[in-house]
Amino acid sequence: MAAPLVKALLRCSDLTLGVRSAALRFPGLTQVRWSRYSAEFRDPLIDKEYYRKPLAELTEEEKFDRELKKTQPIKAAPSAHTSSVFEDPVISKFINMMMKGGNKVLARSLMTQTLEAVKRKQFEKFHAAASEEQANIERNPYTIFHQALKNCEPVIGLAPILKGGRFYQVPVPLSDRRRRFLAMKWMITECREKKHRRMLMPEKLSKELLEAFHNQGPVVKRKHDLHKMAEANRALAHYRWW
Amino acid sequence: MPLNILRLKHVTVVTTKKNVKALRRETYTVDFIKKQIEEFNIGKRHLANMMGEDPETFTQEDIDRAIAYLFPSGLFEKRARPIMKHPEQIFPKQKAIQWGEDGRPFHYLFYTGKQSYYSLMHDAYGKILDIEKHKNQLQAKGLFSEKNKTIDLIGSRWLIKEELEEMLVEKLSDQDYRQFVRLMERLLQSGAAEEEFVQSFRRSVTVQSKKQPIEPVQRDAQGMAFSTSEGKRKSAKAEAVVYEHGSGRIKVNGIDYLLYFPVLQDREQLMFPFHFLDRLGKHDVTCTVSGGGRSAQAGAIRLAVARALCSFVTEEEVEWMRQAGLLTSDPRVRERKKPGQEGARRKFTWKKR
Repeated sequence: MAAPLVKALLRCSDLTLGVRSAALRFPGLTQVRWSRYSAEFRDPLIDKEYYRKPLAELTEEEKFDRELKKTQPIKAAPSAHTSSVFEDPVISKFINMMMKGGNKVLARSLMTQTLEAVKRKQFEKFHAAASEEQANIERNPYTIFHQALKNCEPVIGLAPILKGGRFYQVPVPLSDRRRRFLAMKWMITECREKKHRRMLMPEKLSKELLEAFHNQGPVVKRKHDLHKMAEANRALAHYRWW
Repeated sequence: MPLNILRLKHVTVVTTKKNVKALRRETYTVDFIKKQIEEFNIGKRHLANMMGEDPETFTQEDIDRAIAYLFPSGLFEKRARPIMKHPEQIFPKQKAIQWGEDGRPFHYLFYTGKQSYYSLMHDAYGKILDIEKHKNQLQAKGLFSEKNKTIDLIGSRWLIKEELEEMLVEKLSDQDYRQFVRLMERLLQSGAAEEEFVQSFRRSVTVQSKKQPIEPVQRDAQGMAFSTSEGKRKSAKAEAVVYEHGSGRIKVNGIDYLLYFPVLQDREQLMFPFHFLDRLGKHDVTCTVSGGGRSAQAGAIRLAVARALCSFVTEEEVEWMRQAGLLTSDPRVRERKKPGQEGARRKFTWKKR
């Protein structure tokens, strides 16, 4: 009587090997991807303002969420994540994507050198420009980075769909996360492949970021090419069933 | 044999054990189980006498301890070690015979195969319909008022599938279980009239998850108040001593943290607990760390420092730290390499021939 019950409870409440997201388990499918955390563990939320909010300002829903969170076990915060004001999730994601072989130190130093190069170039331009144009020159490297990536994001993508033995490129809407990923991926691939052997990554990346910020350059061109292909294949849109 | 089966009619309905497939054909009669229970009780008293304890207040934990002492076993598999438990926990319980002498089943839903489950769903749905009818009647009369629903959804959880299977007699599928939970939630939403019925299917949950980490109390030495605790990450072990009053100096293995951690990311990890609680320059830390790599050591020190800080900080802030993931020990370790594969996940190059 007690044995299967105890086993089930142990599975639920311990920190031992467990299958993630039990809620998404479908009857015919076996879970292949597993994690060291059990299914009930929630992701940590690192935001000082959220916790410092006084109780009076919270809505009913927020109060309920807070009460609920007290009963749920929380995973450990990842090592690249802090409550520091200098931390940017987009930059962290970009650093991870640039990283090769687990060399986070190198990737992060390349990123800082890139941002420094961007800032230097903008400051040179600033000092060289007349006073009317000085207001238009953006010098904050973080805003330039964000805007450049936003300019590189495609709006619509293509998916290969098998119909009648042939693969057709069908225009398909992309989710936000997929768009951001594609923008970053294109930027990194472009910088790695299309550069002179002697040119260093920060130099090339800063150049590409500035060009993308002004909606020019190869990455934005690639985005436009994708849009044109999608427009050309507009007739195949009805092949999509989702 | 037939006489025994007929006698089983009046046994209370109990669950079948899933794993014990070989024993399914064996039917344990009421007398047999009773005899086993008597023998167990007598054996319990003998065991208490042997251990020199009072037979009246000899609990199951005492029995387990006594058996582990008298029969020490080096077997790795815990289920293979000798145990002495109540017969109800050992013998797989049998389902009673559900039909009479003429072969006619007692329950009206017998031919569904899962009579208890379907009768439960039927009752619950009947209750929902009753509540709605009642509500409609009140609304027709104009006496309907929005009552406060006293649902304590936070401190309790629904029965898990195994518990439900145990409670009813039969095996359920995942869809059955999901349907059951949906029906119960609907019943809960429709009104607070059937509280007891619904509460019988809920189990309480540890209300505060923070009850688990225990913070050590401050100790005094030379007049300085400090707190010590340990932290682990991968194979790195750290022990941190956090002084209550200081100027933000951190010494790791006798070396200043700026020299010990040349990488910025590790220093950010050390700063994280202090920055989160707005206590950046207010504490001094002396810690020792060994094992692991640079990131693992930083993570271990972060955990140790966060745990030590718990003793200087209010309960609310401890809960905030827990929700930010500072107080959880990271269970991720290096996955072992498997035979037939090149690494933990990477397979050998697939060659067609």
